Amino acid sequence: MSLKPHGIAFSFVLSSLLASGVAAEGIGGLSQAIDTPRAASGVADDFAILFDFREDYRALSLGLQPSDWLEIGISFPTYDDDAGSSSGNELSFGLRLLKEGTYSPGLTVGIVGFGSDDRGSGEYVLASKTFGAFSASAGMGWGRYALAVPQDRGVDDGIIRTDHLFEGDAEPFANIVWDTGLNGLVAAAEYSGVAGAEADETFAASLSYEVLEGLTVTGLVNNQGDAGLRLTFAANPARSLVQENIGRGPHPYVENTPARANRPQPNAQQVLTLLNERLEKEDINISRFAMEGDAIDVTASSSTDVVFARIAGRVARVLSAIAPANITTFRVTQNTGAFDSNVIVLDRAGLDQAVGAPNAAALAWDATSFEASPRNRPEGLIAPSFEPRFTYGLAPSFRADFITSDTLELTGTLNANARYTFSPQTFVSASVGYRFLNQWTQEDPPAEPQPRSDFTSYAPDIAFLQSLSVRHRFRITPELYSRVSAGLFERAYGGVSGEVIWRDPEQNFALGLEATYVQKRAYEGWFGFEDADASTLIGSLYANLGTNGNFVILDAGQHLADDFAVGLTVGRNYRNGWRIAASTTWSEEETAPLKFGAEIAIPLSWTSAEGGIGATNLFVGGQSGDFGSRVSGTGLLYDELRASDKRRIEDGFGEFWN
Amino acid sequence: MIKVVVSAGLIISLSGCLGTLGQMRDAILNPNPEVEMQVPRVNRAAIEQADLAAVLVLSPTIGLGTVGVAIQMRDGRIIYNSNENRGVTLEGGLIYATLGLGTNLQAVTTQSNDPLVTEARAGEWPAEVTRTYYIAQRGTEFAQITATCRNQVGRSLAIDVAEATRQVVEVVEICTTEAGEDFNNVHYLDADTGRIWRTSQWTGPEQTNIQVDVIEQFDPDA
Repeated sequence: MSLKPHGIAFSFVLSSLLASGVAAEGIGGLSQAIDTPRAASGVADDFAILFDFREDYRALSLGLQPSDWLEIGISFPTYDDDAGSSSGNELSFGLRLLKEGTYSPGLTVGIVGFGSDDRGSGEYVLASKTFGAFSASAGMGWGRYALAVPQDRGVDDGIIRTDHLFEGDAEPFANIVWDTGLNGLVAAAEYSGVAGAEADETFAASLSYEVLEGLTVTGLVNNQGDAGLRLTFAANPARSLVQENIGRGPHPYVENTPARANRPQPNAQQVLTLLNERLEKEDINISRFAMEGDAIDVTASSSTDVVFARIAGRVARVLSAIAPANITTFRVTQNTGAFDSNVIVLDRAGLDQAVGAPNAAALAWDATSFEASPRNRPEGLIAPSFEPRFTYGLAPSFRADFITSDTLELTGTLNANARYTFSPQTFVSASVGYRFLNQWTQEDPPAEPQPRSDFTSYAPDIAFLQSLSVRHRFRITPELYSRVSAGLFERAYGGVSGEVIWRDPEQNFALGLEATYVQKRAYEGWFGFEDADASTLIGSLYANLGTNGNFVILDAGQHLADDFAVGLTVGRNYRNGWRIAASTTWSEEETAPLKFGAEIAIPLSWTSAEGGIGATNLFVGGQSGDFGSRVSGTGLLYDELRASDKRRIEDGFGEFWN
Repeated sequence: MIKVVVSAGLIISLSGCLGTLGQMRDAILNPNPEVEMQVPRVNRAAIEQADLAAVLVLSPTIGLGTVGVAIQMRDGRIIYNSNENRGVTLEGGLIYATLGLGTNLQAVTTQSNDPLVTEARAGEWPAEVTRTYYIAQRGTEFAQITATCRNQVGRSLAIDVAEATRQVVEVVEICTTEAGEDFNNVHYLDADTGRIWRTSQWTGPEQTNIQVDVIEQFDPDA
């Protein structure tokens, strides 16, 4: 195999039928008026997806705000000019140095396109002030904020440079943004010293309209003859778009007073009957129940609630009222489908002390411990039952390629998915795709198969077999989870894969190892293979950090191109089911310095009237480069287990009593 | 937020004029005329016959009303619960906690002489009362919002509370949080005893004001 250096591709996958809206805050993903920057005035957890479209410029950008004072932008722009087109990826930072005061201005510094030599790179320093509905910014800019086409900035022979930052030609800029207060209508005007085709200075104006909550359309024009559209989807997953908990309230908690011991005590069957009767009203299902000694052991789930701490709390509330007085422990097991992944052990006396207190959640957490579910459990009154079943469905996906296309050319695929599930641990699944939209330039298959960069050769205009594989998950010990998979995992690879994860529920990290042997699939036909194979061996560290759902995933090992590569993913889980993550990969064979990816998972309840606990996933970056790539579709176990992490439960514990 | 802005604007523009408390009261009790309020019918006769302490709870912000009966006393607070498990916990006349009415209020701590808790008569209220509200957030620690309230005594009047006429005195509390946010509470106290018959109290930045009408007072000796 001859290998190509990686590039960046963008894939936009909707795993539901519902679009969540796509748009932007500004170039590079940072706060901007039109083309000039404005104050970083957002709050922690703000994020925006933006799409810019102009005659000579298109870009998809993500804006993330990890804290009140820091903005991070990831952008995938394509520029057109007389010399042709150029594409790239930009990592940008905006830092609020000084918050605006009653009389003092705010101060923001920003770097756009750090570590890249794209013509979009630049730096700025600005002061800002808000006057009622008007916010004004003024400052100095370098790079893209001083020249129409800055050059030789950012990278030199693959080495990231910093000596160009805030150096060279500089130009002033100023902008003002007016929130008219009329149905989400916002107007902006700006000046910059950047010379263009028509004038030595640039003046621009824009008008924005919020079509739906969070979705804004902006029209813009300048005196250089440019006009364009910008779509922005902005949200903050830390804030609810709708008020929470407007459904049925939780069952009243009843303390286990000494007087209760003198009353007639219910038997296990009576407790189970009452438990089911009361929890059904709260959409909580009990699939296993056992009452032995001083403990009640239940497996609980909800088809509508993503906050398991709240589910556990509601189970505890009902049990508090109906359990015999001698029961001192409520054990609530969380099941991920294939596994009983956690047992949340609640001390009844501790909950009695906590309920109603001003620090009730903290006290309840103190009364909580975690255990791995034993592989063999004593027989209960009811135990999970399973009937083999066949399920199927349709799902569209969209992909855009920033490597091989000079324009934002899209492919749209309709996938017909089917699965036969033999047991909670084992299923066989298949997916047949049909490309109903294909704007990609089709390439002939290369003389030698490539690990990833030949993906535009897999583009039949007829139905194709996307995947056909069998997967079995099992536990070796209570803390050791395992998987074996075999078949056609994805469009490009088929083979066998095995994985083991060690995960102690009391710990905030897990360790995984995946070994895969695959053969390159044929460019045409459903079942053939090319004369090329590969094996991967990748170890992973999954760690939850802090108490706000932050996580880090570190992958290292042999990847598809027989290269040693290290991948780093940093992200944040939200208690309402959102997940936002960014990733970068370094390979020993890389010639370019950085490779980015991003993932956003949005609960269906935010994008679907039906709600639910599934998620709509958006992926950016990923699988186009030959180096640092791994096989997809093998079914990594952590994707199933992550919802049970202790930190995830703790993160939702504020709603234990809700 | 609209309610807060409207209320704050009214306070500023009206400069504490007692004659305008009615407008402030109306802004609090009817914050959003676009939200249709579903008020359950109260069967007073049945409640009296069963000798139950009961309250009518209204959340004008989300247009939801429910009738709760006293089911528990915990640490001197009365827990009122409805058939659909919505309810409030009252400490005297102070809304200590809410459940099932939106983004719940977990608890309120207050000073020992809070007149809502001690049920003081209108003219006997301290000039200021400071309360801390506990709201669920990420993690195990609740968010805390501390507010200081001044009060103004309004008119004496008769009001209808679930088909019963009560002679009351109106008291409006004008509150400011440590972050500078403003909100208001409106109370109707029994003219003789100071017990609450109707109250609209702020319960958090999302859930805002909840109104409680006391259908039958809790009697610890009953």
